[in-house]
Formats: sequence, C-alpha cells, structure tokens
Amino acid sequence: MLTALTRAFRTPDLRKKLLFTLGIIVIFRLGSVLPTPGVNTENARKALEAAQSSELSSIYGMVQLFSGGALLKLSVFALGIMPYITASIILQLLTVVIPRLEALKKEGQAGTAKITQYTRYLTIGLAVLQSTAFVALARSGQLFGTSANDLPILLNDDIFTVVVMVVTMTAGTAVIMWLGELITDRGVGNGMSILIFTQIIAVFPSELMNIFRQKGAFTFTIVMIVGIFMIAAVVFVEQAQRRIPVQYAKRMVGRRMYGGTSTYIPLKVNQAGIIPVIFASSLLYLPQLLVTLFANSQESNVVVEWIAQNFGSGDTPIYMATFFLLIVFFTYFYVSITFNPVEVADNMKKYGGFIPGIRPGRPTAEYLNYVLTRLTAPGSLYLGLISMVPIFALTLAGATQNFPFGGTSILIMVGVGLDTVKQIESQLQQRNYEGFLR
Amino acid sequence: MASLSQMIRRFLEKPGSVDIAPFERTVAAAGALADRARDLSLEELREMAAANVGSAEFCAAVREVADRTLGERPFDVQLVGTLAMLSGNVVEMATGEGKTLAGALAAAGFALRGKSVHAISVNDYLARRDAEWMAPFYTAMNLTVGWIAEASTAEERRAAYACDITYANVSEIGFDLLRDRLATDPEATVQPVPQVALVDEADSVLVDEARVPLVLAGATDAGAAVPEMAALVRRLSRGYHFELDDEGRNVFLTAKGTDTVESALGISLYDHPGTVTEVNLALHAHALLVRDVDYIVRDGRVQLVNPSRGRVAQLQRWPDGLQAAVEAKEKLAPSDTGEILDSITIQGLLTRYPEICGMTGTAVAVGENLREFYQLKVAVIAPNRPCVREDEPDRIYPSLIDKELALADEIVAQHATGRPILIGTLDVAESESLAKELRSRGLEPVVLNAKNDAEEAAIIARAGELGALTVSTQMAGRGTDIRLGSPEVAELGGLLVIGTGRHPSSRLDDQLRGRSGRQGDPGRSVFFVSGEDDLLKAYLPEETLPKAEKDGRIRDKQAAYLVGHAQRIAEGVNTEIHRNTWRYTRVLEEQRTRLLDHRDRILYGDAGAEALRDARPERYQELVEQSSEEAVAAAARQIVLFHLDRCWTDHLGYFADLREGIHLRALGRLSPIDEFNREALPAYRKLLEEIEKRSTASFDALDLSAPLAEQGMKRPSATWTYLVSENPFGSDWDRVLRRVSSALRGRKKG
Repeated sequence: MLTALTRAFRTPDLRKKLLFTLGIIVIFRLGSVLPTPGVNTENARKALEAAQSSELSSIYGMVQLFSGGALLKLSVFALGIMPYITASIILQLLTVVIPRLEALKKEGQAGTAKITQYTRYLTIGLAVLQSTAFVALARSGQLFGTSANDLPILLNDDIFTVVVMVVTMTAGTAVIMWLGELITDRGVGNGMSILIFTQIIAVFPSELMNIFRQKGAFTFTIVMIVGIFMIAAVVFVEQAQRRIPVQYAKRMVGRRMYGGTSTYIPLKVNQAGIIPVIFASSLLYLPQLLVTLFANSQESNVVVEWIAQNFGSGDTPIYMATFFLLIVFFTYFYVSITFNPVEVADNMKKYGGFIPGIRPGRPTAEYLNYVLTRLTAPGSLYLGLISMVPIFALTLAGATQNFPFGGTSILIMVGVGLDTVKQIESQLQQRNYEGFLR
Repeated sequence: MASLSQMIRRFLEKPGSVDIAPFERTVAAAGALADRARDLSLEELREMAAANVGSAEFCAAVREVADRTLGERPFDVQLVGTLAMLSGNVVEMATGEGKTLAGALAAAGFALRGKSVHAISVNDYLARRDAEWMAPFYTAMNLTVGWIAEASTAEERRAAYACDITYANVSEIGFDLLRDRLATDPEATVQPVPQVALVDEADSVLVDEARVPLVLAGATDAGAAVPEMAALVRRLSRGYHFELDDEGRNVFLTAKGTDTVESALGISLYDHPGTVTEVNLALHAHALLVRDVDYIVRDGRVQLVNPSRGRVAQLQRWPDGLQAAVEAKEKLAPSDTGEILDSITIQGLLTRYPEICGMTGTAVAVGENLREFYQLKVAVIAPNRPCVREDEPDRIYPSLIDKELALADEIVAQHATGRPILIGTLDVAESESLAKELRSRGLEPVVLNAKNDAEEAAIIARAGELGALTVSTQMAGRGTDIRLGSPEVAELGGLLVIGTGRHPSSRLDDQLRGRSGRQGDPGRSVFFVSGEDDLLKAYLPEETLPKAEKDGRIRDKQAAYLVGHAQRIAEGVNTEIHRNTWRYTRVLEEQRTRLLDHRDRILYGDAGAEALRDARPERYQELVEQSSEEAVAAAARQIVLFHLDRCWTDHLGYFADLREGIHLRALGRLSPIDEFNREALPAYRKLLEEIEKRSTASFDALDLSAPLAEQGMKRPSATWTYLVSENPFGSDWDRVLRRVSSALRGRKKG
C-alpha cells in the first residue's frame, strides 16, 4: 500500500490528483472548524464538554462521528454530507416508485444527470430544514440535551442572526456537495466516501488525547495496540474472497501467454459490507429514544423501566446479545438482497458464461447459493465480533465512551481506504522498466 | 446580438453555445474587401490569404478564388463556418448549406499555416468526390490535394499523405496507422506525423463510429467452424431449445436445448468448454445474425452491413470464429480465421492530432459527448436561407401490418402527384420487401442499398426529379445532396422524405429529414412508426402503446412520448458502449504507446541488436564471426520485432478474455474498471519479460542461412473489426433497488 502511494507520488498526473484531493480535504476541515456567524464559540465549547461527559453522550457520539465534530461546534459545515447522502438515498428510492424518474434513469447518462440535479435540489431543501432545526434548538438552549446549562449559544436572539446562520449552514452544505463532486471528478476516490473518511479520522487525535490525559499512558498504549491489531484484522478479512471460476464460451481462443484464470466471481467473506452494522445500531437507538421520551413522564411503567435498564446503555448483556444477533440477521438479509444467485446465473447464461462442470441456469444458481450461504456464516460472525469490540473494550479497559476504534468507524475507514488505494493502483502505470528493452 | 439566455448557456458551456459574433464581424469586414479582391491576380490573392489566415483579408481572398475556380461564391454563413473550424470547433450547419466548400476553405487555411490537413470523411465515395470537386480551388491556392480509398496501394497512399490536404475515410486512416505500427521496414510506412484533422460528418465519425475500436486482425488458420454444428442448431427451435434476451443481443440454450445438444453429441457439454464455444457460435450465427439485415452474401462471401451507414463494411469481419460460423450457416467455404494484432479507438486515433475541428448537420445533439471525449465545442451556424421544410409528427400504428399498409397507401397517393419521394428504410431486407410491395402495386421504385452501392451517384442524381421514387437504406441518409429536378417539383411541394421507422438515434432521423428542404427549398418529412418496431420491442418491452383511433392511427400524446423515450434509451445505451470502449481501451493504448517507443528504437535504430548482444554476448560474437555485423544486426532486429508483435497479440487476447468477464467483479463490490486496470500493470511487465525470453531463445537457435519465416517466425495479414460488451449488474444499490422494484410490481424477474 505504501509502495503504491510513493509510486503514485512519482507519477505526475496522479501526484496532481492526490494533492488536489488533499487540498479539498484541507478546505473541508477548515470549514468544519470555522464557526457560523452569530455563535458564541466560548459558550458552545463549554456546553459541548458538559454534554460529552453527561449520560446521553452515546447519541451525540454517533452524530459527532459523521460530522467530524462539526455539528455541535455549529460550524459553517455543521451539517456535513448527511443531507446529500440522505437526498441521494431518497431519490434512488423514488426512482422505484415514480414512473417518470424510472423512465429518466433508463435513458442513460442524460437522464441520470437530471436525477443528480434533482438530488442537489433536494439536498438544499433538506439542508434548510436541518439547519433551521439546529439553529432553533441552539436558540432555545436545547441543542445539547436537557442537561445542558443555561449558557446562551447564540450571541444574539434576533431573527436576522438566525436567518444568517441558516443561510450560512445551507450554503456550507452546498459547498460540501461541490467539494465531494470535485474529488470524484478530478481527485482520487469517491468524493462522498473520502469526506466521510475525513470526518471519522478527524476526531481521532482529540479522542486519543482524551484517553491519554484521563487514563494515562498504559491504557493509551493498550488502546493503540488493540486498535492497530483490529485495523490489520479488518484489512485482512475485507480482502478475503472465494473465487468461483467462470468461463465465457463465446469466442474461439488460440494459445495463451498467461497462465491461470482471470475470469471469476469474487465472493467476499464480508459480502455485506458495513450496512448490517449500521442497520443494527440504528435499530438499537430506537429503544434508547423511547426511553428518553418516556423518562420524563411521571408514571413509571414496567416496560419502560426494563428497556431503560437493558438498552439504556450499551454495556448490558441483553443489549450486546441483541446487537450481535441483529448484525448476524441483517448480514444474511442484506446478502440475500444484493446477491441474487438466480439473477447472476441468468446473466451468465445470457452472455454465454458457465462455471466449468456445472450447467447454466438453475444448477448454477443452486451452486452459487450453496457457496454463498456457507461464506456468509463466518462473514456475519466477523461483523458481529468487530462491532462488539468497542463495547468490550469499554467495559474491560474502562476507556471513555468515545472509544475511537469503534467497529463502524474501522469498517468505514478500512473500506474507503482499500477502495481508494485500489483506484490509485489502477491508475498507476509502469513508468520505468529496467530490463531487456530500453 | 447575443441574448441573455444565450450568454447564460455559454457560461454553462451548453452544447452549441460557442460565440460566433467575432467571426460574423470578420466576415462582414470581408464583404467590404470584395471589390478590391476582384481586381487582384491569383498570385496576389494567394499572398493576401496567406498573410493572415483567419482575417477579413483571408476571407475575401479565398471567397474570390473559390468563385473563380469552382464557380461557387461562398455565402457569409459558409465563411463563418470556415472561421469557426479554423478556431478548432465543431460546426453545425444545416444540410445543403455547402459544408464541403466551407470545410475546403478551412483546410486551405490550415495548409497556408504550414500544416498538413487530413480531411476525414465517413466513406470512400465522399472522400473521393470532395477531393476531386475541390481540386481546382486548392490548385489555384498552390496547395496539393490527394485522396485515399480502400483499394489504394501503399504507393498511392504515400503520395496522397504527402499532399497538403488528404481526403480519406476514417477507417483508412486508422488502418494505415495500425499497419505502420507493424511495419518491419522503415520504408514500408505510409503515414506522416499527424497535424490537423478536419472531420466531416463529425457526429458519425467521432461518436457513432467510435463505439467500436478499429482492429487489425491477422489470418492464422482456416476457419474452425464445424458444419455439423450449423446443421445441429438448425434443428433447434426458438422458445423451446433456445431463447433470446430482451434486446435481442444474446442467445442461449434452455435446459431442453442442452439436453438435445448433449444427446446429439453424446457428451456432457459443460465439461468441454471448446464444444460449448462451437455450439454458442453456431447458435449466435443462426439466431441473432439475419441475412440481408446484418450481412449480405455476395460473390460467395459473407459481407457485413454497417448498421449506422447502411453500407457494406468491406474491412469488417466478425471476430473469434463467428465469421466462420456464419459461413457454415450459409454453407459457404470457410475463410481464414484470425486473431487481433493491434487495435485503436477512434478517440485514440484522433486525439493524436494536435488540432481537430469538424462539421456536421447534427452536432448539438452529441455536444456533451464531443466535450467529454474530445474536448470539442460546437458552434451553430444559422442557415443562409431559413429551412421551410414541414416535419410532420410521427404516424404511429399499433401493428407492423397496419403501418406497412398505411405506408404503401401514402406512397401511392403521393407518387400520383408526381412529387419526388425518398423512402428511408432501416435495413437491406426492409428496403427490398418494400420495393417488392410497391412493385406489386404497379410502381417502379429505384432501390439503393448495400447491394448496389456502385450506382449510388447516379441514383442520387435522379432522386429529386419529377416522379422519382427512391427506396434507400441509411446510405442516402448522410452526406448525399439531392437537388430538385425542376421548378415544377418545387411547386408540388419539393422532396417528400418518408422514414419507415425511427432510427436508434434522433440524429439519424434528422439526417434523413435533412435530405429534403436544402437551401430554403420546400419539402416535407414524415416517419411511420408501429408498436412492433424493433426500437420499441428492444428498449421498452414492457410498455404497450395506447389504443388506436378508428382510422388505425394512434394519436395519443403518450405514444409519441414512448417512441421518443425508447429512442433516448437506445442513445443512452450506445453512449454507454462508447464510454466503456474508451475506458477499457485507455490503459491498453497507453501501454501500446510505450511499447511503440521501444519498437521505433528497434525499427529505426539498433536497439534490438544491442539488447540481444547484452543478453547473449558469446552467441552474438559467434554469429558475427559466421557472417557480418550488419547481417546479425538485421536478423536481431527482425527477431525482436517479430516477438514484440507476437507477444502484443497474446497480450490483447488476454485482455479480451479479461474484459469479457470483468463485470463479475462487481458482485464482490469491486469496481470492474479499477480491477481491469489493476490487472494491466503486472500483465505489461509479463509482456516485456516474455519478449525477452522468446527473443533470446530465437537468437540462440538462429540459423542465419535460412529465412526467418521457416524458423517459426511467420507473419500474418488481413483486417477486420469487433464489438465489446457492457456491465449488466450495476452497484450494490442498483441491485437492492431492482429487487425492491420487482417486488413492488409483483413482477418476476429472470
């Protein structure tokens, strides 16, 4: 990986792309720490510290993770890329429901360009909504939860300040969207992924510093060792794949210079990626939210109490077991949705492909299904275990709530990292070959 | 005056928004110089033009020279077009506006700047016609002009390329380059360093043709198709033994079909990949390739028909055994089969030119593609006289039979008035069946298709006369100039153009319409469409058209929308094929360029001998003692060149294999194009190692007294082209959405 990077820096056009991407990241980070006009930064910082040490921090942990700490700083880029991601998900779902959008999508690039345009408009719409909500919360002092102190976060309560803040944050979102597209077009990697990656990485130094300050050098070292070991493990498993050879019998071929087959279906051990973890953790936030809603009401309720006890924080055995089982379930579910053996077998059949020794059509689908099911078992266990690590680490080492090497962060980080390195490698060309021909 | 909306369009770089106001001012200034130019001698005009190419003086001078030598005085709009091309744009000019002359003036401009110009056209007929037509003008400008056709010899080609301006078909230029890249003797190359490309029918050349790379293939063995396979698949029936996919691009055996084939051959089919290939090829030839649509049989040979031009593609053959399978199907003797020696995309070919410009009647529609693939902008030139042609909305019918009846009725009724009619059909078979139908109704249509392309010029010359009835394929759809025969014809309403179906691209429709209404002439165009047309069946298999009215026509707006929608899907699919062709050949073309650097040093220098001397010093010395330094160097050069070319062929074969199955990587959430490029690097390293290994082995076994061809180093020859396939799976998300969508609609897929 490092050799790929150094070689990339020696290739002029790739170096340009890498520097361009780094430049965009710098701008992105700058905007993430630049406060929106009208915010009392001193008070906001104090309120944030107070909120982090309070009970409800786990919800904020998730929010902070995806905004790289920008949201609660009420910075220009406070909303991050979530509005854009939400907008694209919504529009993609809408293409299924609205015939007009489906028709556009079918028309190829010209149609997709229009859908992209709609996505941008929707992003702006969502950004207006979200920024208004956040500014309103900040204005009423509720942004940092009920336990927040009475420090005013805004310098000024008048409507002008509020409008300026909303406009600034919305414009910030538009700029982020643009930065992302710039990276995709002219830099390396997928812009959106790179920006998420940046946000996740961005909180690492301060989180690690916190551990070092609060728990001392020994815990810090343990955390680092565990973290690096985990990253290595994730990189290893993410690359693992079962290759099913496929032959395309549509062309007569002569003699061949290269041995081995390069035509295969790569079935990954972790065929589902990160989605199951996100599904499972989102689902587990629901009981926590319910608890916060009902906790204030006077009458006590057996169900609410039981939920509060077992799902209120992440370190109860029942929570952990549920989390693990949900991940396993969602892994199977997601794999079954994204990999349809019948469709794959059908496609292979149409294009003249077959697995040697196996008939195209149903026998092929059955074979693929068999291999896939056996592969998904270790895959789902792996996802479950990786996601449990921060919770274990939390209880065992007594680290802070915001253990930086959380399962989700590592999976995203490694995923984006591997994809980007692969893309860089694909653009690398042999520059100076020393040998027979000079 | 540029309106505000135009300025915004220009700012957004929308296609067709190049600012032509400066050119218009220059041309207006040239108008004032006309009197002065009239009194000058040719010599003085030449000096006036050469002094400052692109200025008002230049315009006035070339206009005067064209007037004197060709008898045609360029209109202002033609000069504006010339200037836009000299600035490196693609110019959109309506049919009949005199693109050829505008292009010639631009070519002369580039030549006066000291550049050699390649005027690239879509076929040999146009290349030769334009070169000969414009020759007096070029001669008067002291410029030389030449043309190249498929039949030109190497000697003629070299002479044509040495001219200031060379007219040639794009594939001829491409093949000359490919052949030069395989030359084993510096004297044998024909093409000089490229400088300026002036592309006629730019959308056709730069977009339509660019979907398929130009491929130089070499004959190796006689065709390997087994006639028994052709006989076997002839017994199979569609729907039971085999099926076609929705778009009619692929054919596959059903389980029943597999059983039948297995019992006929007495083997378990899928344990024998070679046999599967033979069966698939025979099936492909049997079910997907239709005689007189995809190919014609002439002089005992199978000849491909180019779908977007309607012409016989002389140099094209199907790849990898398919040609032989078709020959077996037609019970012809198998011709040589071969492998790909080298290939280049139209992009790769044209981006070698430091300066590109072009002209066509339909550029705005492909403006995005031109910008994406060639960084070219489009300038729209208004017609000299406004076009008054009436374009009727499509006449849509539910079934093919309804359409054909209505079409024949309309032709009979219109023909009775004496008005000339040009009917554009989609393929050779359709043109012939329509002509037969018309003959049965007592008419005498003239047919123009790939089978009688020799009479093309004569047929076109008469197509605008009173009472002319011409049935053509796409051949008449582009570049041809149909003049109205007499003033009487104009009174009848001018040329009537009837399309028997919408093409897969709106540009092809517009080009066909454009045969009528040239230079402000009257004219009319109409397309007949049915719900059973291939375009609708292939791209909108699930949609049905609204109900027809009493007279059999469908007038519902939804129907017109669906026809346009199907066409836009087809255009999208074709753009995607183009993009994939480009993306998947870019890395190969880069490697090819690098390898050619080595090759040039071997061909023009002694790099081959040096490499072998360093690798095998004793052997080298031994051979020099046997004969002479020069003889060994010459042999070494030929050995290394042979293995370099041979290994490159293997390299291309490996990538063809890789390309075919690379879309499967998407199933492991990997990006196919990245995976493809990642495999390219180690393969290139292996290629270089292999060249070394094989060259030294040949050198060790070298016998200087015998010809190299007898020592296993025999070179192949012959040429044809092929098409690549696309990625059908889409991303994770696409697959989720597809599942959700099919679940919502309760439709069962696959």
